Amino acid sequence: MSTHVQTRARHRIGLAPLALLALLLYAAFLIYPLVQSFITSLTNRNVLNATNAFIGFANFAELVHDERFLRSLGFTLVVVLFVTVVSNIFGLLFAMLLNGPARHYKIMRTLVFIPQVLSGVIVAFIWRSILTENGLLNSVLQGTGLTQQPISWLGTPALATLSICVVVSWMTIAFTTVVYTAALQSVPAELHEAARMDGAGPLNRFCNVTLPMIAPGTTISVTLTLITTLKLFDVIAVLTGGGPANSTKSVAFYLIDVAFTSNRFGYASAIAMVLLALTAVLAYGVTYLLRRREAHL
Amino acid sequence: MSALLLNRTTRGRALAAWLVTVAFIVPIYIALVSAFKSQSQILANPLGPPVPFTWENIGNALSRPDALIQTGLLNSIVVTAATLLVLIPLAAAASFWISERTGWVKSGLIALFALGLMIPPQVVLQPIVSLLQSVGLANSYPGLILSNIGGGYMSFAVFVYVGFLRTVPRDVIDAARMDGASELRVWWTIVMPLLRPATATVGIFLGLWVWNDFLNPLFILGPLQGQTITTGIYQSLGQYSTDYGQLFGIMFLAALIPVVGYLVTQREFIHGLMSGASKG
Repeated sequence: MSTHVQTRARHRIGLAPLALLALLLYAAFLIYPLVQSFITSLTNRNVLNATNAFIGFANFAELVHDERFLRSLGFTLVVVLFVTVVSNIFGLLFAMLLNGPARHYKIMRTLVFIPQVLSGVIVAFIWRSILTENGLLNSVLQGTGLTQQPISWLGTPALATLSICVVVSWMTIAFTTVVYTAALQSVPAELHEAARMDGAGPLNRFCNVTLPMIAPGTTISVTLTLITTLKLFDVIAVLTGGGPANSTKSVAFYLIDVAFTSNRFGYASAIAMVLLALTAVLAYGVTYLLRRREAHL
Repeated sequence: MSALLLNRTTRGRALAAWLVTVAFIVPIYIALVSAFKSQSQILANPLGPPVPFTWENIGNALSRPDALIQTGLLNSIVVTAATLLVLIPLAAAASFWISERTGWVKSGLIALFALGLMIPPQVVLQPIVSLLQSVGLANSYPGLILSNIGGGYMSFAVFVYVGFLRTVPRDVIDAARMDGASELRVWWTIVMPLLRPATATVGIFLGLWVWNDFLNPLFILGPLQGQTITTGIYQSLGQYSTDYGQLFGIMFLAALIPVVGYLVTQREFIHGLMSGASKG
C-alpha cells in the first residue's frame, strides 16, 4: 500500500524538480541580473567610492552629455548598419554562387564556413597581423610598389572603423552564407523551371522566385547579424582595444570599460539599459518589418 | 551545341565560385601556412607556401614555460564539457515539462526563456560577477560553469528543444505512460532518444559558443585564475604582436580542436542551422 502511494507520488512530481532547477538557475543568472542591472542604473553605485544611493534618472541625463558615450553610440550604429547590410548581401551572393550540386561545391561551402567556428579572438589576431602597421598587408603593398608609406589601417579613426567593419563582416558572412544556403536548398527547383518556361529572365526569377521563397531565412539572418554585432567585444578588444582616441569603442565595449575599469556600476548599468533598449528596438523592429515583407511577397 | 554551351557556363561558374572562395579564405590560408614558416619567410612572402617547412613554431608553442596551450586547452575542455553535461539534460527536461503545460503557463515560460536570446551578455555581466562574489564563487571555474548553465545559453537550448518537441508524435510518449512508466523514466528512455537530432544541434552550437566565449571567462575567472584557451591567447599574445612565427604557431594549435570538430560534425552542424533557418 505505502509503496503504491509512493510510486503514485513520484508519478505526480515527475520532471517538475528538474524543470524547476533549470528555471531557478536561469532566474538566478539571467532574470535576476537583468532586474538588478535596471535597479543599479538608478543609483550612483561605485564600489571604490563606497557610494550606493538612489539618484533617479541622473545617470541617463549624464549619458546625453557624455561625449564618449555618444561617440560609442555612433560607432555602434555605423558598424551594425555596415555589417548587417554587407554580410547579408554577400552571404546571399556566396550562397547562390556556391549552391551547386557537384562535389567540389560542397568543398567550397565547407571552406567558406570555417571562419564561423573560429573564436573572435583568433580571427582578430589573424587580421591584426595582416592589418597592423608593419603587418602582412602593408608588406605586400610595399613589396609590389603599390604604396610607398605603410598605411595605418588600425591607427586612424576612420580606417580603424572600416577595418573593424570589414573583419566583423568577414566573420558573419561565413554565418549568413550557411543560413542562405539552407534557405536556398528549400526552394523547389520546379519553381525556377516554371518561371523559366514563362520566359522570366535571371533578374526576374531572382526577384519573384528566389527572394520571396527565402524570406524567412532573410529574417533570421538579418536579425542574428544585428544582435551579434550589437554585443561585439572580442574583435574590438584584440584589433584596436577601442582606439585610436576611443574611436572604435562600441556601446557594449564602453559599458565594460565603465563597469570594470572605472568601477562606476550605476553609470555602467545605465549604459547597459541603453544597449538593451537598442537591441530590443532594432531586433523587434527589423523582425517586424521583415515579417511584414514576408507576408507581402 | 547547346550542351557545349551549357558545359562552358557551368565551368565558368565553377571557376568564379572557386575564385571567390579562395579570396574569402586568404586570411585562413595565411594563418595556416605561417604556422609552418619562419619569421623571415612570413614577412618576405606572406602568401608563399611553407617551403622549407618548419615545426619550430609548433614546438616553441608547446614548450612555453607557462604551458599556455596545454593548460588553456585543458581548462576549455573542462569548462565546455561540464557546462554541456549539466545544461543539456536540464534544458531537455525543462523543455519537455514546458511542452506538457497548457495555456499561459506554457506561453509565459517560453517567452521568459526566449528573452535570454536577445540580451547582450554585457548587460548582465556585472550583476553576475557581484552575485558570484556574494556566494563565494568569484574568480572560480564552478562560478564560470554555473553562469554558463544558468545564463543566456539556456535560452537557446530550450528554444531548440521546445521547437523540436512540437514535431514529436505524442502517441509514443502516451503509450509509455499507459504502461505505468514514471515521468522521469518516460523522459530519459523515451523522450531523450527522440530528441537526439535536437541534442546534436544544441551540443554543437553551445559547445562552440562556450569554447569560443571570451567575455565571461575574462571577467568571471579574472586574470589570475588560470585561463581558457581563448582568454589565454588574448592575455599572452599581446607581446607577440610582431613575432608572427610564435603567434601563428600558437593560434594553429588553439584553432585545431574547433576546426577538426567542425569538419567531423559538418553534416549535423549544417543540418542544425538548416532546420533553424527553415523553421523561422
